[in-house]
Amino acid sequence: MSTITGQAAGPSAARAVQKKPNIVSRIIKHRADYLYVLPALIVMLVVIAFPIYYTIELSFFRTPPNLQMKDKIWTGLSNYSLVLNSSVFHEVTIQTIIWTLASTVFSFLLGLGAALSLHREFVGRGVLRALLLIPYVISAVAASYVWKWLYHSDFGVIGAISVALGFTDEPINFLDNRQTVLASLIVVNIWKEFSFAMVMLMAGLQTVPDQLHRAAMVDGANTWDRFWHVTFPHLKGVSMVTILLLMVANFNSFIIPFVMTGGGPADASHIWITHIYQLAFGRQQWGAASAYAVILFVVMMTLGYFYVKALTRGDETRQGA
Amino acid sequence: MTDTTATRIRPVVKKPVDWWRWAGRVFLTFLLLFTVLPMAWMILTSVKSQFAAMQYPPQWWPAEPTLNNYFKLLDPTQRIGQDFLRYFWNSFYVSLLTTILGVVVAVPAAYAFSRFRFPGRNFMFFAVLVRNMFPAVVFLMPLFLLMRWMGLVNTHGSLILTYLTFGLPLSIWLLKGFYDNIPIQLEQAARIDGATRLQAFLLIVMPLSTPGIIATSIFSFIGAWNEYVYAYTFLSRDDQMTLPVGIQRFFTEFATDWPGLMAATFLMSVPVVVMFLVLQKYFVRALTEGAVKH
Amino acid sequence: MAEVVLQNVIKTYGNLYAVNDVSLTVNDGEFIALVGPSGCGKTTTLNLIAGLLPMSGGDISIGNRIVNDLDPKDRDIAMVFQNYALYPNKTVYKNLAFPLQMRKLPKEEIDRKVQDAARLLDITHLLDRKPRELSGGQQQRVALGRALVRDPAVFLMDEPLSNLDAKLRVQMRSEIKRFHHNLNATVVYVTHDQLEAVTMADKMAVMSGGLLQQYDTPANVFANPVNTFVASFVGSPAMSLIPLEAVGNALRSPEGWELPLSQLNARKAANSTTNKIVLGARHSTLKLHKAATPGAVPGKVYTVEPTGDVTFAQVFINGAVVNISLEPTARIEPDEMVWVEFDQERMHLFDAETTMALKAI
Repeated sequence: MSTITGQAAGPSAARAVQKKPNIVSRIIKHRADYLYVLPALIVMLVVIAFPIYYTIELSFFRTPPNLQMKDKIWTGLSNYSLVLNSSVFHEVTIQTIIWTLASTVFSFLLGLGAALSLHREFVGRGVLRALLLIPYVISAVAASYVWKWLYHSDFGVIGAISVALGFTDEPINFLDNRQTVLASLIVVNIWKEFSFAMVMLMAGLQTVPDQLHRAAMVDGANTWDRFWHVTFPHLKGVSMVTILLLMVANFNSFIIPFVMTGGGPADASHIWITHIYQLAFGRQQWGAASAYAVILFVVMMTLGYFYVKALTRGDETRQGA
Repeated sequence: MTDTTATRIRPVVKKPVDWWRWAGRVFLTFLLLFTVLPMAWMILTSVKSQFAAMQYPPQWWPAEPTLNNYFKLLDPTQRIGQDFLRYFWNSFYVSLLTTILGVVVAVPAAYAFSRFRFPGRNFMFFAVLVRNMFPAVVFLMPLFLLMRWMGLVNTHGSLILTYLTFGLPLSIWLLKGFYDNIPIQLEQAARIDGATRLQAFLLIVMPLSTPGIIATSIFSFIGAWNEYVYAYTFLSRDDQMTLPVGIQRFFTEFATDWPGLMAATFLMSVPVVVMFLVLQKYFVRALTEGAVKH
Repeated sequence: MAEVVLQNVIKTYGNLYAVNDVSLTVNDGEFIALVGPSGCGKTTTLNLIAGLLPMSGGDISIGNRIVNDLDPKDRDIAMVFQNYALYPNKTVYKNLAFPLQMRKLPKEEIDRKVQDAARLLDITHLLDRKPRELSGGQQQRVALGRALVRDPAVFLMDEPLSNLDAKLRVQMRSEIKRFHHNLNATVVYVTHDQLEAVTMADKMAVMSGGLLQQYDTPANVFANPVNTFVASFVGSPAMSLIPLEAVGNALRSPEGWELPLSQLNARKAANSTTNKIVLGARHSTLKLHKAATPGAVPGKVYTVEPTGDVTFAQVFINGAVVNISLEPTARIEPDEMVWVEFDQERMHLFDAETTMALKAI
């Protein structure tokens, strides 16, 4: 007979081991792990935690234009009420919403159309994709100057084309007109970022199993049915992330309005970000600008919550050592 | 008679026009024009003389194409050329350093987030990711003060430190995705084969994550190269400026020199576009990684 | 070569016992298989022996040396992984050389050992290739090669055949057996496939729910399963189990029939904690009759599966599915009434309450 040391033990045989270890001992046990994240953590702390704290602090004080902190005066919530009650704030808020939603919706739709059209294999597809992506890669400053030149009131090519085609009698001054300025800037923004949506959705399309399409074809589904019942459900996750990222990017965009119009004419192309910048660095109203920033911050946190949720889905199920 | 039998044997099926396919083609053509025409106009303008550019109706095709604008920008004996080349170098230097430091900091952090389950991991990961959500402006004032306190205003150090932080979240996230895809058994095998944890990481995991490192590097580099807001706020000395800010000085000083500005814009875009075209595969992967899993 | 001893080994994740008080001894040169369904703790046990996971309790020694706190690299072990874990960026040669380089062997010696191993496994012509250019079976061999170049004290194998197709698996099975025979190595082999364990191992350790159920030679495990889990896990088709009630010297079915027990079996049944008994029988010990026979119990044919040299019939008896092997010439149809005769010598009785095999004390 061979060595039999372990016979079937009852289910309660070894339940005398310790309960879940407490947090301190777990931290101590994992202390080596922290070394890996430490450099990143320090950088992030210095450049993130401190500014956040600082912005919140500033928002409760009136601080002199030269930012001499020792001269600041506690004013409670008055910066907040100042910002929230100003008519410019309301106007800029509406513009921010229009800017963010219009840019996001149109970029997404153009990107979706492009992704679907590019999904089929054809000669030159790679070249086409690369060309469409270039605006996304170049700097927003470059894009702003190029479009500023295109929109130029006297020598702009867009104005000249619309006259040549008989749309208008004389060139429109796109950027110096309260009615057209925001829409003109949104076009530039879409030009710059629709290909981001395109790339994301193209990657998403690749996850749609071919078999499903064939099955749907056998079941008699036409092109639209296949898109709606097969492709689209598979794109939901990617679409969510894409739309969120676009919204965040648009909400935060600064360069295009700042470089092209500086928020003008008469604040008509200001969005929150450019407005805050102007309050702070243009008029040195640090307190109001900070309060403004905190409000923006809260809005972003809400978006951020959904962003991280969308991004980390499925991550926790993964096992590690 | 013969005709009908022929049809019966081999019926000529008229393939219906695929309207969706045609719609796609039309749509792509429109998008292509929308994308390319502004860039084409930039290049066309950059080879015009200033006189030729300022005409109404415009010269659709330059009557006397000239590369003078480019020569001027790249000529180190002239003041414009000197400035432009210095901005170019500054941008390159800042972007490169940001990229290298970013990789050095992001690699261990991403590895830890991928492999270890330590207390606070989720919170830290969340905190790092959320950085992406905040507009530059929120950080501008306090960072400006911080940099002033640290004596970094008007130095490239202030930019590099700042760019690092907005590059890091994405880099960590991307690299974590790469590490997640490297089977843990490879490291286990290496450790059984006689490697320490560090050796297993350096000799086995690092070489496998090269594509990820390239991808994140492109992102950091392009991000730093294109950054405007911080450079605009932190730098006021002429000799420190990076291209996106420096170019604005051209614009104000030579307010009417559109061809010159277009040439400068073109030259500014060349490095990132070339980099993008060469490493497109990695770029696209970096862009979509994480959002499109499984 | 060395022996491996596990003593009261425990591994917990929070409140979950992945390995629950496992003790076993692997003698020098022995090939043992850790076998069980997925999640039974067999791979965790292997990782504990390898030192890839920290233990929550107990001791492990390799070659008379307690290795509880040693790094994997210091345990003198080699491991073959389910997905082979070949370094994808290294050639086959570099893969084989890596463990030797880590031990800082001189270059000539590394080369000699790599060439030797390659010759032994017939992969010399593959040395310059990258793992992705190899077939599954070739990768498997390289993984084996990487394990054996170092001449370790113990080989650990984690489901090394489960990624191969059926035909290759049978072939590699005999190669690994031959490999063990030639090297006379101590091998701990993890598998979910009881057939692999039975055919390859000197001894098999059957695990379930983190507990070691039985550790013995395949023949003994097959002949004397300690409980219903082992009985139903080992053997193909598995042992058929019929829940019944002990009444006097017989087992009674709610369907109304009784199965008289031999004296020995009656003594076993009497040791049960309750009168609920599980009757176990392997397919080859059962006899099938087409007409009522004394001592046989009635059942209804469910399916008939001819496999060529033997035909299996599945028969419903008292609600349980019972496998019976028949001559390929047997003529029987689904839904037919049949009578099944049990072999008193080779039937198994289990306590339905504790699931343990009943013994005649």
